[in-house]
Amino acid sequence: MTAKPKIRHTRRYRTQAAIGCAYIAPSFILMMIFNVIPIFMSLYFSFTKYNMVAAPEWIGLENYQKLFNNRVLSDSLVNTLRYTLMTVPVQTVFALILAAFIAEHLKNGYGSFLRSIIFIPVIVSLIASATVWNIMYEPKGGLINQVLNFLGFPSVKFLSLKQTALPSVAAVAVWKNTGYYMVIYYAGVMGISVEIREAAIVDGASPIQRFFHITLPILKPITYMIITLSIISSFQVFDLVYKMTGGGPGRSTYTVAYMIYAYAFQDKRIGYACALAIVLLVVILLIHLLQSLFFNDRDGRDSQ
Amino acid sequence: MKKRVSFGGVIGTLLTTLFAAMCITPLIYMVAVSFTDSESLYISLSDLRFSFDNYVYAIVKRNFGRALWNSIVTVVGSCLLVDLVSAMAAYGFEKKPVPGKEALFQGYLATMMIPGQVILIPMFVMINYAHLTNTYAALILPMVGAFGIFLMRQFMVQVPNELLEAAEIDGCGEIRRFVTIVLPLVQPALITLTIFTFNAAWNNFLWPLIINTRSDMHVLPVTMATLSSNSTTNYGMVMAGATLTFLFPFVLYIFLQRQFVEGIALGGVKG
Repeated sequence: MTAKPKIRHTRRYRTQAAIGCAYIAPSFILMMIFNVIPIFMSLYFSFTKYNMVAAPEWIGLENYQKLFNNRVLSDSLVNTLRYTLMTVPVQTVFALILAAFIAEHLKNGYGSFLRSIIFIPVIVSLIASATVWNIMYEPKGGLINQVLNFLGFPSVKFLSLKQTALPSVAAVAVWKNTGYYMVIYYAGVMGISVEIREAAIVDGASPIQRFFHITLPILKPITYMIITLSIISSFQVFDLVYKMTGGGPGRSTYTVAYMIYAYAFQDKRIGYACALAIVLLVVILLIHLLQSLFFNDRDGRDSQ
Repeated sequence: MKKRVSFGGVIGTLLTTLFAAMCITPLIYMVAVSFTDSESLYISLSDLRFSFDNYVYAIVKRNFGRALWNSIVTVVGSCLLVDLVSAMAAYGFEKKPVPGKEALFQGYLATMMIPGQVILIPMFVMINYAHLTNTYAALILPMVGAFGIFLMRQFMVQVPNELLEAAEIDGCGEIRRFVTIVLPLVQPALITLTIFTFNAAWNNFLWPLIINTRSDMHVLPVTMATLSSNSTTNYGMVMAGATLTFLFPFVLYIFLQRQFVEGIALGGVKG
């Protein structure tokens, strides 16, 4: 852009190029060390047996073969998928309805106050969230069980029952994430032109009709983006599981990310953990690929 | 607009209010329990006392003081490093004729799709090899990422070339141009990036957990996580720790709400 071909070999061009390299160099070094080289190391380790004490020993595809016969992995995958299904649809629908409603009916100080409140869980760290909710879930006197008892129900050991542990963790994620996606949706709703909305009102469309025939279709690209992002982040759920259940009871909250951590840093099976990480990488790249295919197919203009 | 109260509007407002109340309840509960000295959770309003005993205990006896200091050092270091390195890179990419820069930039962007778990293990091996475990450097250096460079470059486009050329003709040197002209012009982006980095560094858990294992090098979330596993049910103290962890981002959020929401919302919109 700045340099035309005819001045490529002038001294000024070469000096400027060198200065440019100097500006880019610090980021280049850090990006190589902490973002690029590790990918290839992971790939290499995944073909080896390595415990960080002895040198890595090449074993070819053995780690991958073992992975596909691993009951823990299939359990973890199922749990991760269940967790994704418990969080993504719920938080997306909540976020959309809240954003659309506040933009339509509460375009005042109270609405912006509510938006600020709903966003607050987003800024709480996952570990602090998990700590607070652990105590809320306490069977003896935790807030939720106190409410249950007050309503005449017996206490529930939310985090130590196989049926309730994963949904209880998912509920914390929904609590924490909804405000984040609401903010993104809200920006999208505010971006819908006033003319379109007023035309619909003049034509006599009810609020419900306007939501389904105007707001929802216009927000489609944002919805795709939100769903992709939230699927990817729920595939990597770790902090909540670590703090709230440690994967238990049994393996009922074991997720893929937790499994990578356990294999690498508790069992010191680095090669095996790396093979699992590579599988996760492939899955996430596939989701990105699907999303971009979907976008270019149907909403090519919007994704630009 | 005409003011008309609709039935749906009232119900919706009530439900939205209820949702907001549910969002804030756990945090009110957190602060309330942190101000009780009971070991049981069956607390009533009469158990609440405005005493900072739990906070003092958490800070002095339970490593929260040290962890708070470590978190602050890590966050300040990360913000400075990320801002400087990202702004420099963005300036180089946008304003300098570096051969092959667009290909390199696309390569940077591609790294945003890589999940953390993939690079975590090799990073652990490298940091161990370099004997950098239990240092601030191990927490700060990996914070530089493609997102910051991408964000800064979008703002760098708006810096007029004419201004830089005019300054050069006036004899303003390379570094002075960058510091006195470019950086002030991209200040809004720097603020957004600082808040994004603040959050990422303050809440970072898995990496500090595995790389800084010595308790005097723990950051707040790591201390939080190890706390309740080895302590009895001292709920008040645990909640005091959680409140401390929450307090700093919350104060920033109160004062810089718009930038704060922007910094977090943009950060999620990767790729």
